[in-house]
Order: sequence, then C-alpha cells, then structure tokens
Amino acid sequence: MTLATPDKETMDILLDLGGEKLKICYQCGTCTGTCPWNLVRDFNVRKIVHQAQLGLVDFEDEDIWTCATCGACVKRCPRGGETIDVMKAIRKVVSEMGAGKVPDSLRISIKNIASLGNPQGEAPEKRADWAQGRDVKTFTPQTEWLYFPCCIPAYDSKVKRMALATVDILGKMGIDFGILGEKEKCCGESVRKAGGEETFQSLANTNIQTFTESGVKKVLVSSPHCYHTFKNEYPELGAEFEVVHTTQLWAQLLEEKKLNFSREIKKKVVYHDPCYLGRHNDIYDEPRRVLEAIPGLELVEFEDSKQNAICCGGGGGRIWMDTPKGERLCDWRLEQAVELGADILAVACPYCMLNFDDSVLTLGKEDVIDIKDVSELVLEAI
Amino acid sequence: MGNVESINSPNSILVVGGGISGITAAVEAAEVGYEVILIEKSPYLGGRVARMNHYFPKLCAPYCGLEINFRRIKTNPRIKVFTLAEIENISGKEGDYDVTVKLTPRMVNDNCTACGKCVEVCPVERLNDLNYGMDKTKAIYAPNPLSFPTNYVIDTEVCPGAECSKCVPVCPYEAIDLSMTAESVHMKVGSVVMATGWKPYDATKLDNLGYGKYPNVITNVMMERMAATDGPTQGKIVRPSDGKEVKSIAFVQCAGSRDVNHLPYCSAVCCLGSLKQVTYIQEKNPDAKVFLFYIDIRATGYLEDFYRKVQGYENLSLIKGKVAKIKEDPQTKDLIVEAEDVAQGKKVSEPVEMVVLATGLVPSIADTKIAADITYDDYGFIASQPPGIYAAGCSKRPADVSNSVMDATGAALKAIQSIVAGGQNG
Amino acid sequence: MDKKLGVYICGGCSIGDSLDLDKLSEVATKEYKVEICKTHPFLCGKEGAQLIAKDIEDGVNTVVIAACSPRAQQEIFSYDPGVVLERVNLREHVVWSHTPQDEDTQMLAEDYLRMGIAKAQKVLPAEPYQETIDKTILVVGGGISGMTSALEAAKAGYEVCLVEKSPSLGGWMSKLYKQYPKHPPYQQLEDTGIEAKIKEVEGNPRIKVFTGAEIEKTTGAPGMFDVLVRQNGSQTSLRIGSIIQATGFRPYEANKLDHLGFGKYPDVITNFQMEELARQGKIKRPSDGKEVESVAFIQCAGQRDENHLPYCSSFCCLTSLKQALYVTEQNTDASVYVVYKDIRTPAQYEDFYKRVQEEQAVFFTKGEVQGISEGGGCLTVEVEDTLLGEKIGINADLVVLAVGIVPNSMPEEAKKATAEAESSEEKCEGAAERAPDSGFYAAPALQLKYRQGPELPTLKYGFPDSHFICFPYETRRTGIYSTGCVRQPEDSATSIDDATGAALKAIQCVEQSSKGMALHPRAWDQTYPDLFMQRCTQCKRCTEECPFGMYDEDEKFNPLPNPTRCRRCAICMGSCPERIISFKDYSVDIISSMLKAVEVPEEDEEKPRVIAFLCENDAYPALDVAGINRLTYNPYVRVIPVRCLGSMNIVWIADSLSKGIDGILMIGCNYGDDYQCHFIKGSELANYRMEKVQETLQRLVLESERIEVWQLSISEYDKLPKIFDDFLETIERVGPNPYKDF
Repeated sequence: MTLATPDKETMDILLDLGGEKLKICYQCGTCTGTCPWNLVRDFNVRKIVHQAQLGLVDFEDEDIWTCATCGACVKRCPRGGETIDVMKAIRKVVSEMGAGKVPDSLRISIKNIASLGNPQGEAPEKRADWAQGRDVKTFTPQTEWLYFPCCIPAYDSKVKRMALATVDILGKMGIDFGILGEKEKCCGESVRKAGGEETFQSLANTNIQTFTESGVKKVLVSSPHCYHTFKNEYPELGAEFEVVHTTQLWAQLLEEKKLNFSREIKKKVVYHDPCYLGRHNDIYDEPRRVLEAIPGLELVEFEDSKQNAICCGGGGGRIWMDTPKGERLCDWRLEQAVELGADILAVACPYCMLNFDDSVLTLGKEDVIDIKDVSELVLEAI
Repeated sequence: MGNVESINSPNSILVVGGGISGITAAVEAAEVGYEVILIEKSPYLGGRVARMNHYFPKLCAPYCGLEINFRRIKTNPRIKVFTLAEIENISGKEGDYDVTVKLTPRMVNDNCTACGKCVEVCPVERLNDLNYGMDKTKAIYAPNPLSFPTNYVIDTEVCPGAECSKCVPVCPYEAIDLSMTAESVHMKVGSVVMATGWKPYDATKLDNLGYGKYPNVITNVMMERMAATDGPTQGKIVRPSDGKEVKSIAFVQCAGSRDVNHLPYCSAVCCLGSLKQVTYIQEKNPDAKVFLFYIDIRATGYLEDFYRKVQGYENLSLIKGKVAKIKEDPQTKDLIVEAEDVAQGKKVSEPVEMVVLATGLVPSIADTKIAADITYDDYGFIASQPPGIYAAGCSKRPADVSNSVMDATGAALKAIQSIVAGGQNG
Repeated sequence: MDKKLGVYICGGCSIGDSLDLDKLSEVATKEYKVEICKTHPFLCGKEGAQLIAKDIEDGVNTVVIAACSPRAQQEIFSYDPGVVLERVNLREHVVWSHTPQDEDTQMLAEDYLRMGIAKAQKVLPAEPYQETIDKTILVVGGGISGMTSALEAAKAGYEVCLVEKSPSLGGWMSKLYKQYPKHPPYQQLEDTGIEAKIKEVEGNPRIKVFTGAEIEKTTGAPGMFDVLVRQNGSQTSLRIGSIIQATGFRPYEANKLDHLGFGKYPDVITNFQMEELARQGKIKRPSDGKEVESVAFIQCAGQRDENHLPYCSSFCCLTSLKQALYVTEQNTDASVYVVYKDIRTPAQYEDFYKRVQEEQAVFFTKGEVQGISEGGGCLTVEVEDTLLGEKIGINADLVVLAVGIVPNSMPEEAKKATAEAESSEEKCEGAAERAPDSGFYAAPALQLKYRQGPELPTLKYGFPDSHFICFPYETRRTGIYSTGCVRQPEDSATSIDDATGAALKAIQCVEQSSKGMALHPRAWDQTYPDLFMQRCTQCKRCTEECPFGMYDEDEKFNPLPNPTRCRRCAICMGSCPERIISFKDYSVDIISSMLKAVEVPEEDEEKPRVIAFLCENDAYPALDVAGINRLTYNPYVRVIPVRCLGSMNIVWIADSLSKGIDGILMIGCNYGDDYQCHFIKGSELANYRMEKVQETLQRLVLESERIEVWQLSISEYDKLPKIFDDFLETIERVGPNPYKDF
C-alpha cells in the first residue's frame, strides 16, 4: 500500500502563490465552525488548509472551488490566518499550472471574460444597451463621474434594474456622469479569487489604461466586487482614481441635504450586507442610513448581520458555478428574510441580486418578498 | 494592621500582593528571620485562590493551605500586613527603596470582633465582587468567614456614610468609624517582591461567544464560585437565567487565549481548570452531559494523570475543535455551541443549557504598571526588573498554584540576597 | 513550675446574653478553686486586654481566656513564651451555634471551661530544643538545579557543599547544543550559558565542589547531619545543616520503544542523541553519515502511555520545536515533520510555537504513529493522521523520538521491601513503609541511616514529591528537599525557579532549627517530643509510624528521637501504647484530663455525651465557620482539637468510655491518593487504628457504632451539623454507655 506523503514542493508553491499564512494555522477548526456553507452542506475549510500545509491538496476535489471568499473565517481566525489567500493559491495551482480541472461553468466564464470582457459571453458592443431610452452620455474627460455598472447589471435583463435606478437618481440629482460602454471590461475581482491571476492582471491593466486615457477621476460602482478590487487591488497596478459605491454616494447626498425623500415606502425591509462591502471594506452604516431615512420604511436586521452576515454564496467565482438546490446559501438567507416577515430584501450587490432573484423564483416566494437594490428604494422614495 | 506611620527598616522586604504568591513569599522570608511588609489592595488576603472551590489535581480546598499560611502570619511577629493598600510610589535602589503606600479607609477599626450586628441594620446592598457579582452583600460586610483579616469592611462606593450611620450605634465595640480617610504610609525597605497576580480576561470582548449577552454563558472563575458551598448558589450548579439545575453543559477552552485577536499567549491553567470543573459537574449534577471543546489539552507533568482520570467520566465528550460561535434560543435560553469536531472532520452544533468560557489570565500589573525600573513583555507580564525587585507568580507569566508557590519561594530568597548584599547585587 | 491561674470570661459577641456568666464563673471559682476569675463585656478591647496584662504583671502565669475561637484575635491575646495560654471557644462553638439561655447550652459552655482549665493546669511553657546547628547546605547533584541551589544559597551568605556523581558539573544542560528561547519575544534559540554557570559555581568561595563524588553515608538530623562523601577513593566527612536533592533525571529507555523502530534502525534516534549530533556540527545520519534533508520528530515517544511513562515530560514539545530549528538552520531546503498528540507550549512559549510554525520547512500534524519502516534509502513513518482522517506516510532520513524523562530516584529494578522493614513483619503499620512510596524504594543518592530507609520516600512514578499544591517543597524527611526533575518533570527555566525556592527552604530549615522552632506546617511551635524511656516496650510503633522518619532505633529497638527532624504532629504520641511520648503543651495525659473534666449526666437525665476529636487545621476551623454562619447542632457534643488525627491515642477512647461518654467522633482530613493531611498519613493512621478499636469494642460487648471516623475538608463546614446530629441519633439508638454509672 502506498501512502500519501507530505510534499514540500507543493507546499512551497502554495506559499509562493500567496498562501504564506497557511503555515501558522494550528488546526483549531474555527474556520470550519464559522463557514456559512456548513449551514447548508458540509465544507471543511480546516482540512483543506491542513492538506495545503502538508502539500497534500486533492486538486481534483470540487471542494477547493467551494469557498465563496466571504471572509467570515478570516475575521475569527485566532492565528490571523488568511484562508482566502490559501484558497486562491490552491486554485491558481489548478488554473495556471493545470494541476487539476477547473469546473466547466467557471472555465467558460473566465474564457468569456478573457476574450469578451464579460462572463456571460455577450458582445462588448452591446454593453451599453441596458441604458437605452435613458439619457446616459458617454464619459468624456470633462465628465465628473464615471459610472461603472459591472457586467451583470450591464447584460442581465433583470439585474439591470439596479443600474437603471442608479442613473435615474443621478439624473434627478443633476449629477454629471457618464459611462464607458463597450470600453468597459469586467473588473476581474472574482476571476482573481477563482485563481485566474493572469486574466485578472490583463483585465486590470486594460481597465486602468482605459480609465487613464479617458481621464477618469471618480468612479461610481454598483458592485462591491468592483469596489473592492478598484480600491484595494488596482492601486498596486498603478491606478489613481477615487472609488465610491452607490450606497456611499446616496448617504453623502442625504447628509448634504441634496437628496430628499418625499414619498413614503410603508414596507418592512431587511438589509443584506454584501461580504465585499461589509467584511471586506467595513461599509455597514451608509446603506442603513439611507434606508432609515426613507419615510415609512421599517428597517429590520438579520440575526447575523454586519460582520457576521451570511454570504449569498456568490463570491470567489461561485456566481458562475452551479450550486445544487438545497445547498444554496441565498435560499437559506431568503428563508431567513421571509421568517423575519420582511416585504423587501434590500441588497447592494449585483451578485446578491442575481442570486436572490433566482431564489425567489425557485422557492416560489414571488408574492411574499421582493428583492430590491438600495438604489431602487431610493429612487422610489424621491 | 496599618495605622498610619512611617516604617524605616531598610533590612525588610516589601511584598506587593497578598495572593498565594505574595503570602508565600512573605511567610517563607519571615520564617528565615527577615522583617516583611505584605500589602494587598483588597480588604482580605488570598487573592484569586481564596475565590476558588478546589485546586487541581487533588481537588482540595484552597482555604486548607490558606488557613495554615494565615496561622503562620498570625504567629509570626516579623510579618506586617496592610490590606486595602496599594503602591503609590516607589523609588530608590536595591537595599534602599523608598515606598509610599496608599491606604483606602476600611471604615472599621481593630475593635471589630466580626460579630455581625452591623450587617443586620445596614440598608444598602452591593454586588458581591468576591462572587463576581453573582450575588449581593450589604455595604458593610465580611469577605469570607475564613478570610484574614476577619475585620468587616465598608464599601465606600455604595455606603451613604455619615448621613446614614445606622451601623455606627449598633456596634457595641465602637468599631465603625465613618470619618476614616485615605492615608499614606511611607516606608524604607531593602527589596521588593512583586506578586501582583492576575485577573480574568474581559469575556465581553469575545463577542461571538455571547458572554454578557446570554445569561447562561458564564466564565470559569464564576463557575468556581458557583461550585463553592460559600458561593452565591451554595454550591449548586444552576442556570443564571432560571436557577434550574444544569443537565447539559459545555466548556469552551481558549476563550481568548492563544488568539491574536485577544491573548496571543496560552494561559497555562485553563485546561486543567476546566477538567477540574468537569469533576464539579460529575459530583453535583451526575446526570448532566458535559462537552469540552479544546485545541490542545495542556496537562503537563503528572497533571496528565488528572486528565486521564477525567477522560474516564462517561458523560464527558472531549471535542477537539475551537468554538466558533455560541447562539441562544431566546425562548428556552438554551445555547447552541458551534464548532468543528476535528476528529469527525465536520461541524457540530451542540445544544446545551449552560456554557462555561475558560477565559484566560491577564496580569493585574498591566493596568497599573509600577513606576519602577521594570520592563514588561508585549502582554504586560514583567519581563525584567532591576536588582532588588523580584517578580513572583502570575505577574511574570501565567502559572498554576504549585508553580507560583515555587516561584514565590525563590523570589523570597532573591529578596533576602538583596538585603544580605546590602545593595551589592547590581 | 507553680501555676498561677487566671480565668477570663468575655461577655461580648452575645456570649453574655446567651449564657449565665456568674454560673459559668463558679465552675472556675468553686469547682477549680481558681482565685482570679474575671468577666468583661469586651475582653479583646483595650481595657480587657489591659486587665489581663495587669494580672500577668502581678504573677499570673497561666491564662485561660473563655471568649471567641482561638483562631480569632490571636494578635491581641498573645503573651510572652513564659505564659501558658488556653483559649476556650465560647463564641463560635457555643453561643453562635446553640440555643441561647438554654440549659444544654450552659452545660456545654461549662464543660468547655472545665476542659480548658484542666488543660491549662497541665500545660507547661515550651522549652525550645537548643543544639549547636551547623548551617552548611549540602546540594546533591551538579546539574542546572543543583548548581542554581548552590549559588543562590551561597549568595545569601551560606556555606555550600555540592556533590556531583560525574566528573564534571553541568548535567544535561551541558549536553545541549542550544536552548529554546526563555525570554521575550521568544523567537531565537539561546545559548545554554551553562559554562558560565559552572565557572560561577567553581569560582564561588562559599561553594565547595565535589565532582566524581558520591555520598556513602548520611547520619544525624537537620542542623547536625554527618555526611560521608567518597571522592576517587578518599573519604571526606561533612557537617551539614540541611540537604537539597537535585539528582535529576535520565531519559526513558528508548529500546523499550521497538514499535518505533529504535534499535532496529540506526537512523531512529532520541531527542537526547539529537543534541549530540547537533553539537558535532552538521546533523548527519548515523547509518551512512549523509547530511539529513528530512527529519521526522515523534512526540510522546513513550510519554502519556500507560505501558511506558503515564505522565507528560513537560518539555519534549518545546525541545522538538527547538531541534526542528537546528535542522532548518543548517539546511534551509531540509524538511522537518513533527507528529504530535497535543502541542504543549504553555504561557508565552506559545509565541515560540508560532515562530517555528512560520518556518517554511517545518510541517506539523496530529496523529498516532502506526509504525516505522525502511526502504528507498529512507525511513517511512506511518501516521494515522487525526487532522486529515486518513493514514499518511512521512519519508525521512532521520527519525527523532521525543522520549520523556525518568527521575533518577526511580530504581532500575523496582525493589520493594528491605530486610529492615521485614524485620517487623507483624506490624501492619509497617506495611505503609514497605509500599513503593517508602524510603526503602528509591535509588541510592543520600544513603540516609534512617530507621525508615535510606532515601526520600517517593510517591507516584518514583518522584520524591509530596504532591502538596500549596506547599510543593514538602518532603517526608525534614530538612531534605528535592528539586528539579527529580521532583517533577520541568524545563530548565522552571528548574531554576524551583531550585532557588529549594535553597530558601534549606536555609529556612537551619535558621528555624537554630531557634529550636519547628518547620512548616507548625513553624511557630517550640515544643518537641519528650520520651519517658523507662516505660518503653520497644514496640517500634513510633519509629515506624512517624511520617518524617524522626526516630532511629538502637539494636534493642529503643526509639532514638532526633528532635530537629520532628514536625510536631504528635503521630508518635498517638501511636504509643505506653503513653510515654509527650509535648509540653500536648500529651496523652493533658487530653485525658480534658476528657475527665467533662461532666457526664446520670443515665436517667437522658443527656448523652459525645466527644469529637477534630483536626485543628481543617475540621476545627470548619466548625468555627458553622458557628459564624449560625448553623446549629446538637449540644451534647464536646469538641477537642488535635494537632493531627494521627496523634489520637487509643487510650483516650478507653478513658472516654470508662467515664461514661456515649460516643466518640473523629474528624480528620482526606486520605488516599489525594491525601490532604499535612502530616501525610495522620488521618489514614487514625482511621486504621480505630478499625482495630472497633474490634476491641465488640469484644467488650460495646457497639462499634459508638465510634465514627470522618474525613472532612475545611470548606465542608455545612456537613458538620449533620454529622453531629446524625451521630447523636445513632447514639440514642444504641442507647447509653453501659459503663456510665460505674
């Protein structure tokens, strides 16, 4: 019988690929205990980390693609470990060194992004179609704001409502903004988490180049994923522009009394913290401030909110992968919202919206609860 | 005890802290023949051990040893004890230290016979800090029937003072003097032993474990009081929420310890402490199911025997896995403990009626770092000191009673050497 | 001495309200014809204290204070050694625990006063045992512990003799390549610094070093030991005050670990051999001298295993972490695997664990080693990995077994009895002495010429430790202290603290002895046993039962007391059938006269009487607490405190019964594995003796229920009232003592 033997080379590679922190893990299992996946299925984070520590990762195992990089375990790790980096490193070994097989749906999405700049495989020239019928101009160096909607609102017939709401508000506020349309490419945040480092690099560089050439100074984003990478990762590659998430802008306009609500929304609303807005960037209050300002609106909280918010399951490339029914965090989260008796589940991330829209259908909750972007509610209340 | 004076005995040793380490250093030095001044900031000696139910691994009563030590103190004219006393200032060098000690007024003088008449009339109640706030005493109280000194004490924080004075006339011995004020004692001493001890880590900082939020989540030090006959529940292990006898309980190891977000070091005593508390359950609630969640069980030396003994208890499940989260069922006030059972390789959610957090040790000296030439490590433990000052027990590192006593005995000798050398050790 | 008694009765703390003090005074004045008997409402107050002081000035030399517990107001009621003081506990044991203004309560108080006076009449002032005490400290063992004890004692101004078996000082520390960090931030390996320490010892004028030397014979007692040291043929005789045994440890025999391939494969070595390799420079494989590229450490190689060493050796985890760095420091490409059960890096050592984890080449995993095999030019360690839940194989050039330690006091072959012990076959008490924890058991180190064996008695696993938590330096041979790894598994940092403490205890021993004072736990005691040899029958009970080996024996089996070995527990006094062993303030006769002072009502009065002998350190204070908490209990019980239940002499039972006492309670400390008796075996011996007594009772057609022996901890005060009340029910059931009206 031949036994698996710890493999230093593999471990060294994982360290080189950014998994340094895996060394200090002392195998307490806090990550597994914290990971939201275990609400709906078994997922042993600790074990994968230990396999990495011993260079014994099973690169064929689908579980290495399970982590949604929500960061819940990172916040709790008693050793200050960086689980996401470890997962990233493992995935890199597969996608870049061919150690195993990238799940088809993910592979195709990344291929699309690489070739067409969007995961859906849509034509780049169609990227601005969502804005048809709206007075949305193309960004010029004189424009104050670049609005960067993210691939999903740009192409998804339903999710585009968050982009539309956004531009409508901007219009009403008379804020000077524009879009880059077909020049936009996917921000690459999730590609990177999925191990597609090279693809990410080229996307980032193209975007940075486009932005610089177009003279972009301030970017408004609807997606916390775009926000995260623009704000925390692009600068390393030479980006120099300000990034603002829609919820932040709305909150600021409220404060400056530029944004005023006249219409009541007599609804019970629960706000779902997107991992990349909340845990990854500590933006918890702005969206809540905006919602609380809406007359008649009753804001309720999940038992697990803010730092402890449960992920929708869409991060880390999961958004492009199929999750079997019964194992979907978004379904679990939606049920939670329904139990709370909320009429509206307010989101602030296109991934969350896509996931929850789907959950509403599959769980048949159309008459029970609506999924709305914070921007939609803002627009209704103006 | 300390009526104000200035003590000028450069050949004497000052011991700061009247816990087991300080008491040991004091009596051991005095029984060699040296003058010792022992100061303690609370109204009684014994420190943390006086608040424990049993010691591991012998499961004996701390007051058994304390009783002997108190008798050694009472029968030894070379030991001078000041309670409610704290160092205000310390200067000088080996063989010649100038120390100012601040005395908080006890409001009860040495006429007190501990007859208890005053308590009957006292109208004011206070949370009993000795029982970690789990019950109340009157504003005038005796810490514990076995404590030393036996004099009653008034909690000036809550006592209305002169305007009330109900206790003053009922005391047949004119022992209560509400006009007492804080005083300072100046002393010259030859050397100093720092035995300032430890305090439990603030468990409210462990937001995922629900302490302070859920009534049935308690800490290990509270459990010691609960199990004690003279404790707030007269030794019954019951749920704070409803006083119901506990039928299932979980111990959460490393509650703060070995955690870069809290206490990066290991607190060294919590594993054995919890194993000991498992025996309380075994004795008092024999049917209760017990779960103990740990990372590593650190039973060094022949404490391993005790670990093995407790492992034999069939109602105990030892689960390797750090607790990630504790939730409460708002109806029943039961708790759900979430962790990975590493041996099984999967997450478990264990419903229990009560949870004990094995919170770690924090050096007491960390918040009142003495203005002497002492250096501290990143965690506030004493790392080094000038000749003439010697750290003992948990002011130096987390340690159990037996090791603290060993260490304190050694510190007593170092302090003696400083006097013998007359300051020539540096 | 001609006694001038003064009796002082306090009326304070509701004593006056609950009792008829005039009637009480009459006990003194009428029954005992005491001339000076005063009552005062507040005896511990200034005025009261002065009252007594004045009478002492005027010649009172025996003071009976009937007030609160003797544990209270001790500072106020303390007089110069010439004055005999007896405290009668009217407060905690009478008025606070019994119905006020009640006939039985009054009777209780009166009996206690009688007992107090009866005792006071017989107690004499202590006359300290004064001998010329030599204050030289002998340290046996020249490792880190021994050298530390020697230096620390010398720094305090004491002469020291240091005896080391091997040709040079240093012990195991001098065999180490480096030591793991002992200082913040616990990141870098440190030099052992042992060379400097050796120089310091050798250079210290107060320390006389004997290397290559062994102890041939130790006679005498603390302050006056005569030690014969053999050093390369020649003998030196030393006068010694006290002894520190720091004889250290040896590694566990790895050849018992064949399941881990030791002895089978040359490249399986122990952690101790690993130090040698490291000291030689590059770490190479023993088999072929190849520089190691991969090393596997197996933790708990024998430790925590009941077939080998049931205990944990405390420092093996840290040692392997350290040795892992030896490997990575010499070869950054090397890989190191550590297989553990639990990583035990207590306190700030956790920082060092983290630091070694960060070392790229070091792998940790938790698991059970299934076996070791050879093949493909390396060894393969098969591990059932608990973290992966599967078996893995670790390939390594070198396998290091982290073996544990065995105290050198542990004999190679566990011999049990010796001729001396067997010579007293018929004495069951002797059985305790022939158990593996006796002084006959341990391997030769001190060669004591003691009746109870040549070495420190050991407890579990051959460590000469008394396992006291709050008094870790207690041993069962007065003035001889064990320290370092011979006492318990501990690392060098702890050993240094430990050895410093041991030095203090050794110094304390000679200082206390020079004042004729006892050592812990009766450090204040200046009395010592006095034997009336004319009546000795050479029964050897005292010589066998003393927990501290105080008595030697002459060829006729006469006991030869060594007062400076005595801890004043009076267990010998309890053991003596001839009642010839007495202390000035504590003797068979004194207690008997207290018993006889109790007034036993006629049978028809239906007031039974029970005597309760209570351990004065635990049960007695517990009864005080019962009083302080105002718990009430049967007033027919008369309490007598004893130094240790082991000092109970059977004759007291006889005296009580013949006096008509209906029952006897004895309450001592817990015994057994977790014994809490501060004289080690006192309560156990008492229990053993009483079993014998109960047999005798049956022969005298007296019900054995008339005697009960209890184990009680000081914190179990709440149990006492029930013990008393239940016992009185038993007594009422079995009926009055038939000898009552004789």
